Amino acid sequence: MSASYDWWIVIVVVGLLNYLSRLSFIALFAKVEMPPLVARALRFVPAAMLMAIVVPAVVFSSPGALALSYANPKVVAALAAAAVAWYTRNAVATMTLGMVTLWVAEWMR
Amino acid sequence: MAPSLIGLLPFGLVCGVGAQSAGASPAEALGMSALIFSGAAQILACQLMAAKAPLAVTIVTCFVIGLRFLMYSAAMAPHMKPLPERWRHAVAFLLTDQAFAAAIRRFRDSGDTRNGASYALGTGVLLWATWQVSCTIGYWVGNVIPAAWSLEFVVPLCFLALLVPALEDGPTRIAALAAGIAVVTLDSLPMRLSLICAGLVGIVAGLIAESRRGAP
Repeated sequence: MSASYDWWIVIVVVGLLNYLSRLSFIALFAKVEMPPLVARALRFVPAAMLMAIVVPAVVFSSPGALALSYANPKVVAALAAAAVAWYTRNAVATMTLGMVTLWVAEWMR
Repeated sequence: MAPSLIGLLPFGLVCGVGAQSAGASPAEALGMSALIFSGAAQILACQLMAAKAPLAVTIVTCFVIGLRFLMYSAAMAPHMKPLPERWRHAVAFLLTDQAFAAAIRRFRDSGDTRNGASYALGTGVLLWATWQVSCTIGYWVGNVIPAAWSLEFVVPLCFLALLVPALEDGPTRIAALAAGIAVVTLDSLPMRLSLICAGLVGIVAGLIAESRRGAP
Protein backbone atom coordinates (compact mmCIF):
# COMPACT_ATOMS: atom_id res chain seq x y z
CA MET A 1 0.00 0.00 0.00
CA SER A 2 2.76 2.41 0.91
CA ALA A 3 4.25 2.15 -2.60
CA SER A 4 1.13 3.68 -4.10
CA TYR A 5 1.74 6.94 -2.20
CA ASP A 6 5.38 7.23 -3.31
CA TRP A 7 4.62 9.40 -6.33
CA TRP A 8 2.46 11.78 -4.32
CA ILE A 9 5.10 12.13 -1.60
CA VAL A 10 7.66 13.08 -4.25
CA ILE A 11 5.23 15.40 -6.06
CA VAL A 12 4.14 17.30 -2.93
CA VAL A 13 7.57 17.51 -1.24
CA VAL A 14 9.49 18.46 -4.40
CA GLY A 15 6.68 20.83 -5.42
CA LEU A 16 6.87 22.52 -2.02
CA LEU A 17 10.70 22.68 -1.99
CA ASN A 18 10.71 24.12 -5.51
CA TYR A 19 8.13 26.71 -4.50
CA LEU A 20 10.14 27.70 -1.41
CA SER A 21 13.31 28.01 -3.55
CA ARG A 22 11.42 30.20 -6.01
CA LEU A 23 9.96 32.37 -3.25
CA SER A 24 13.06 32.52 -1.01
CA PHE A 25 14.80 35.78 -1.92
CA ILE A 26 11.71 37.42 -3.37
CA ALA A 27 10.20 37.14 0.13
CA LEU A 28 13.43 37.90 2.02
CA PHE A 29 14.47 41.02 0.11
CA ALA A 30 10.94 42.39 0.35
CA LYS A 31 11.67 42.83 4.09
CA VAL A 32 15.47 43.06 4.34
CA GLU A 33 17.78 45.44 2.48
CA MET A 34 19.85 43.63 -0.14
CA PRO A 35 23.63 43.66 0.50
CA PRO A 36 25.42 45.69 -2.22
CA LEU A 37 27.60 42.74 -3.28
CA VAL A 38 24.52 40.58 -3.88
CA ALA A 39 22.91 43.38 -5.86
CA ARG A 40 26.01 43.60 -8.07
CA ALA A 41 26.20 39.82 -8.48
CA LEU A 42 22.60 39.50 -9.68
CA ARG A 43 23.19 40.96 -13.09
CA PHE A 44 25.37 37.95 -13.94
CA VAL A 45 22.66 35.37 -13.13
CA PRO A 46 21.06 35.18 -16.62
CA ALA A 47 24.37 34.92 -18.52
CA ALA A 48 25.95 32.36 -16.14
CA MET A 49 22.91 30.13 -15.57
CA LEU A 50 21.68 30.06 -19.17
CA MET A 51 25.18 29.13 -20.35
CA ALA A 52 25.38 26.39 -17.70
CA ILE A 53 22.06 25.00 -18.98
CA VAL A 54 22.89 25.22 -22.70
CA VAL A 55 26.45 23.85 -22.77
CA PRO A 56 25.82 20.30 -21.43
CA ALA A 57 22.89 19.84 -23.84
CA VAL A 58 25.22 20.64 -26.72
CA VAL A 59 28.67 19.22 -25.96
CA PHE A 60 27.75 15.81 -24.52
CA SER A 61 26.81 13.18 -27.11
CA SER A 62 25.53 10.96 -24.28
CA PRO A 63 25.69 11.47 -20.47
CA GLY A 64 29.35 11.85 -19.47
CA ALA A 65 30.68 11.55 -23.05
CA LEU A 66 32.20 14.89 -24.03
CA ALA A 67 32.02 15.47 -27.80
CA LEU A 68 33.28 19.01 -28.28
CA SER A 69 34.14 18.90 -31.98
CA TYR A 70 32.70 19.70 -35.40
CA ALA A 71 31.90 15.98 -35.77
CA ASN A 72 29.10 16.52 -33.23
CA PRO A 73 26.09 17.87 -35.19
CA LYS A 74 24.76 19.56 -32.04
CA VAL A 75 27.94 21.67 -31.75
CA VAL A 76 27.63 22.79 -35.39
CA ALA A 77 23.92 23.55 -34.95
CA ALA A 78 24.47 25.48 -31.71
CA LEU A 79 27.24 27.61 -33.29
CA ALA A 80 25.00 28.42 -36.26
CA ALA A 81 22.10 29.23 -33.95
CA ALA A 82 24.34 31.41 -31.75
CA ALA A 83 25.41 33.40 -34.83
CA VAL A 84 21.77 33.90 -35.83
CA ALA A 85 20.85 34.95 -32.28
CA TRP A 86 23.77 37.38 -32.17
CA TYR A 87 22.96 39.14 -35.46
CA THR A 88 19.15 38.98 -35.50
CA ARG A 89 18.12 38.78 -31.80
CA ASN A 90 15.22 36.76 -33.19
CA ALA A 91 14.37 33.64 -31.16
CA VAL A 92 12.20 31.96 -33.79
CA ALA A 93 14.92 32.42 -36.44
CA THR A 94 17.49 31.08 -33.96
CA MET A 95 15.48 27.94 -33.19
CA THR A 96 14.51 27.34 -36.84
CA LEU A 97 17.99 27.73 -38.25
CA GLY A 98 19.47 25.71 -35.39
CA MET A 99 17.14 22.78 -36.08
CA VAL A 100 17.70 22.91 -39.85
CA THR A 101 21.47 22.98 -39.31
CA LEU A 102 21.17 20.01 -36.94
CA TRP A 103 19.23 17.98 -39.49
CA VAL A 104 21.66 18.84 -42.31
CA ALA A 105 24.70 18.06 -40.14
CA GLU A 106 23.21 14.73 -39.03
CA TRP A 107 22.30 13.85 -42.62
CA MET A 108 25.84 14.66 -43.85
CA ARG A 109 27.51 12.67 -41.13
CA MET B 1 7.52 34.95 -25.22
CA ALA B 2 6.04 32.94 -28.12
CA PRO B 3 9.42 31.28 -28.80
CA SER B 4 9.53 30.05 -25.20
CA LEU B 5 6.12 28.45 -25.71
CA ILE B 6 7.34 26.69 -28.88
CA GLY B 7 10.42 25.49 -27.04
CA LEU B 8 8.25 24.18 -24.23
CA LEU B 9 6.18 21.85 -26.43
CA PRO B 10 8.78 19.18 -27.20
CA PHE B 11 10.18 19.48 -23.65
CA GLY B 12 6.72 18.81 -22.19
CA LEU B 13 6.19 15.88 -24.56
CA VAL B 14 9.43 14.31 -23.33
CA CYS B 15 8.32 14.81 -19.70
CA GLY B 16 4.89 13.27 -20.39
CA VAL B 17 6.43 10.25 -22.08
CA GLY B 18 8.84 9.93 -19.13
CA ALA B 19 6.01 9.96 -16.57
CA GLN B 20 4.06 7.34 -18.52
CA SER B 21 7.00 4.99 -18.95
CA ALA B 22 8.00 5.41 -15.27
CA GLY B 23 4.57 4.05 -14.30
CA ALA B 24 2.88 7.20 -12.95
CA SER B 25 -0.94 7.24 -13.00
CA PRO B 26 -2.68 9.98 -15.03
CA ALA B 27 -3.42 11.92 -11.83
CA GLU B 28 0.18 11.58 -10.64
CA ALA B 29 1.52 12.72 -14.03
CA LEU B 30 -0.74 15.78 -13.98
CA GLY B 31 0.09 16.48 -10.32
CA MET B 32 3.75 16.39 -11.17
CA SER B 33 3.57 18.85 -14.07
CA ALA B 34 1.14 21.13 -12.19
CA LEU B 35 2.95 21.30 -8.83
CA ILE B 36 6.62 20.65 -9.61
CA PHE B 37 6.43 22.63 -12.89
CA SER B 38 10.06 22.09 -13.82
CA GLY B 39 11.06 19.88 -16.73
CA ALA B 40 14.50 19.06 -15.36
CA ALA B 41 13.12 18.00 -11.96
CA GLN B 42 10.27 16.02 -13.53
CA ILE B 43 12.59 14.06 -15.81
CA LEU B 44 14.92 13.31 -12.90
CA ALA B 45 12.00 12.25 -10.68
CA CYS B 46 10.70 9.89 -13.37
CA GLN B 47 14.12 8.35 -13.95
CA LEU B 48 14.71 7.81 -10.23
CA MET B 49 11.19 6.48 -9.57
CA ALA B 50 11.55 4.07 -12.50
CA ALA B 51 14.90 2.94 -11.06
CA LYS B 52 13.21 2.40 -7.66
CA ALA B 53 15.63 4.82 -5.95
CA PRO B 54 14.91 5.62 -2.27
CA LEU B 55 12.38 8.46 -1.97
CA ALA B 56 14.85 10.64 -0.05
CA VAL B 57 17.38 10.36 -2.90
CA THR B 58 14.73 11.32 -5.45
CA ILE B 59 13.58 14.29 -3.38
CA VAL B 60 17.08 15.60 -2.61
CA THR B 61 18.20 15.25 -6.25
CA CYS B 62 15.16 17.15 -7.51
CA PHE B 63 15.73 19.80 -4.85
CA VAL B 64 19.38 20.24 -5.87
CA ILE B 65 18.49 20.70 -9.55
CA GLY B 66 15.99 23.35 -8.37
CA LEU B 67 18.60 25.34 -6.43
CA ARG B 68 19.01 27.63 -9.44
CA PHE B 69 15.60 29.03 -8.49
CA LEU B 70 17.31 30.64 -5.48
CA MET B 71 19.38 32.74 -7.88
CA TYR B 72 16.38 33.57 -10.07
CA SER B 73 14.46 34.55 -6.95
CA ALA B 74 17.25 36.87 -5.82
CA ALA B 75 17.51 38.46 -9.27
CA MET B 76 13.73 39.03 -9.39
CA ALA B 77 13.57 40.33 -5.81
CA PRO B 78 14.39 44.04 -6.39
CA HIS B 79 11.67 44.22 -9.06
CA MET B 80 9.09 42.40 -6.92
CA LYS B 81 9.56 44.50 -3.80
CA PRO B 82 6.96 47.21 -4.53
CA LEU B 83 4.26 44.66 -5.38
CA PRO B 84 1.50 43.26 -3.14
CA GLU B 85 2.40 40.04 -1.38
CA ARG B 86 -0.01 37.81 -3.33
CA TRP B 87 1.60 38.95 -6.60
CA ARG B 88 5.00 38.00 -5.26
CA HIS B 89 3.73 34.55 -4.30
CA ALA B 90 2.09 34.02 -7.70
CA VAL B 91 5.17 35.11 -9.67
CA ALA B 92 7.34 32.91 -7.42
CA PHE B 93 5.19 29.82 -8.03
CA LEU B 94 5.38 30.39 -11.79
CA LEU B 95 9.13 31.13 -11.88
CA THR B 96 10.90 28.92 -14.43
CA ASP B 97 14.05 29.26 -16.54
CA GLN B 98 12.03 30.64 -19.45
CA ALA B 99 9.81 32.94 -17.38
CA PHE B 100 12.84 34.29 -15.52
CA ALA B 101 14.85 35.03 -18.66
CA ALA B 102 11.90 36.74 -20.35
CA ALA B 103 10.77 38.71 -17.28
CA ILE B 104 14.21 39.96 -16.22
CA ARG B 105 14.70 41.43 -19.70
CA ARG B 106 11.32 43.10 -19.55
CA PHE B 107 12.04 44.61 -16.12
CA ARG B 108 15.36 45.96 -17.37
CA ASP B 109 13.99 47.29 -20.66
CA SER B 110 10.79 48.88 -19.39
CA GLY B 111 11.99 50.06 -15.98
CA ASP B 112 8.31 50.01 -14.98
CA THR B 113 7.55 47.61 -12.12
CA ARG B 114 3.82 47.25 -12.87
CA ASN B 115 4.44 46.58 -16.53
CA GLY B 116 7.21 44.09 -15.77
CA ALA B 117 5.21 42.30 -13.08
CA SER B 118 2.13 41.96 -15.31
CA TYR B 119 4.38 40.56 -18.00
CA ALA B 120 6.03 38.11 -15.56
CA LEU B 121 2.65 36.91 -14.31
CA GLY B 122 1.11 36.63 -17.77
CA THR B 123 4.16 34.82 -19.10
CA GLY B 124 4.12 32.46 -16.13
CA VAL B 125 0.44 31.58 -16.54
CA LEU B 126 0.82 30.97 -20.29
CA LEU B 127 3.91 28.82 -19.77
CA TRP B 128 2.17 26.86 -17.01
CA ALA B 129 -0.90 26.17 -19.15
CA THR B 130 1.21 25.19 -22.16
CA TRP B 131 3.25 22.93 -19.91
CA GLN B 132 0.14 21.05 -18.67
CA VAL B 133 -1.11 20.56 -22.23
CA SER B 134 2.20 19.32 -23.65
CA CYS B 135 2.92 17.00 -20.69
CA THR B 136 -0.60 15.55 -20.99
CA ILE B 137 -0.21 14.96 -24.73
CA GLY B 138 3.12 13.26 -24.05
CA TYR B 139 1.55 11.06 -21.38
CA TRP B 140 -1.46 9.92 -23.43
CA VAL B 141 -0.23 9.96 -27.00
CA GLY B 142 3.44 9.20 -26.41
CA ASN B 143 6.08 10.90 -28.44
CA VAL B 144 4.12 12.00 -31.50
CA ILE B 145 7.31 13.37 -33.04
CA PRO B 146 9.77 10.82 -34.49
CA ALA B 147 12.89 10.53 -32.32
CA ALA B 148 15.08 10.90 -35.44
CA TRP B 149 13.97 14.55 -35.71
CA SER B 150 15.80 15.29 -32.41
CA LEU B 151 13.15 17.88 -31.63
CA GLU B 152 14.18 17.98 -27.98
CA PHE B 153 17.15 20.04 -29.22
CA VAL B 154 14.73 22.97 -29.50
CA VAL B 155 15.04 23.27 -25.70
CA PRO B 156 18.75 24.28 -25.57
CA LEU B 157 18.24 26.39 -28.72
CA CYS B 158 15.49 28.29 -26.93
CA PHE B 159 17.81 28.91 -23.97
CA LEU B 160 20.54 29.96 -26.40
CA ALA B 161 18.20 32.58 -27.87
CA LEU B 162 17.61 33.87 -24.33
CA LEU B 163 21.32 33.72 -23.46
CA VAL B 164 22.74 35.81 -26.31
CA PRO B 165 20.97 39.10 -25.40
CA ALA B 166 22.19 38.61 -21.80
CA LEU B 167 25.81 38.87 -23.02
CA GLU B 168 25.60 42.64 -22.91
CA ASP B 169 29.20 43.60 -22.03
CA GLY B 170 32.66 42.22 -21.16
CA PRO B 171 31.94 41.07 -17.60
CA THR B 172 28.69 39.26 -18.54
CA ARG B 173 30.54 37.48 -21.36
CA ILE B 174 33.28 36.41 -18.97
CA ALA B 175 30.60 35.19 -16.54
CA ALA B 176 29.05 33.06 -19.29
CA LEU B 177 32.40 31.73 -20.49
CA ALA B 178 33.45 30.74 -16.97
CA ALA B 179 30.10 29.05 -16.32
CA GLY B 180 30.35 27.14 -19.61
CA ILE B 181 33.84 25.84 -18.81
CA ALA B 182 32.88 25.03 -15.22
CA VAL B 183 29.75 23.06 -16.12
CA VAL B 184 31.80 20.72 -18.34
CA THR B 185 34.70 20.45 -15.87
CA LEU B 186 32.36 19.68 -12.94
CA ASP B 187 30.14 17.28 -14.90
CA SER B 188 31.10 14.30 -12.75
CA LEU B 189 29.67 15.86 -9.56
CA PRO B 190 26.70 13.89 -8.18
CA MET B 191 23.07 15.02 -8.36
CA ARG B 192 23.81 17.46 -11.19
CA LEU B 193 25.42 19.82 -8.71
CA SER B 194 27.52 20.95 -11.70
CA LEU B 195 24.67 23.23 -12.80
CA ILE B 196 24.39 25.35 -9.66
CA CYS B 197 28.18 25.30 -9.06
CA ALA B 198 28.87 26.47 -12.61
CA GLY B 199 26.35 29.27 -12.14
CA LEU B 200 28.17 30.42 -8.99
CA VAL B 201 31.57 30.20 -10.72
CA GLY B 202 30.20 32.35 -13.56
CA ILE B 203 28.81 34.97 -11.19
CA VAL B 204 32.10 35.22 -9.25
CA ALA B 205 34.04 35.48 -12.53
CA GLY B 206 31.71 38.26 -13.67
CA LEU B 207 32.17 40.16 -10.41
CA ILE B 208 35.95 39.88 -10.63
CA ALA B 209 35.97 41.02 -14.26
CA GLU B 210 33.77 43.98 -13.38
CA SER B 211 35.91 45.12 -10.44
CA ARG B 212 39.10 44.83 -12.52
CA ARG B 213 37.57 46.89 -15.26
CA GLY B 214 36.43 49.45 -12.73
CA ALA B 215 39.89 49.69 -11.13
CA PRO B 216 42.17 52.56 -12.23
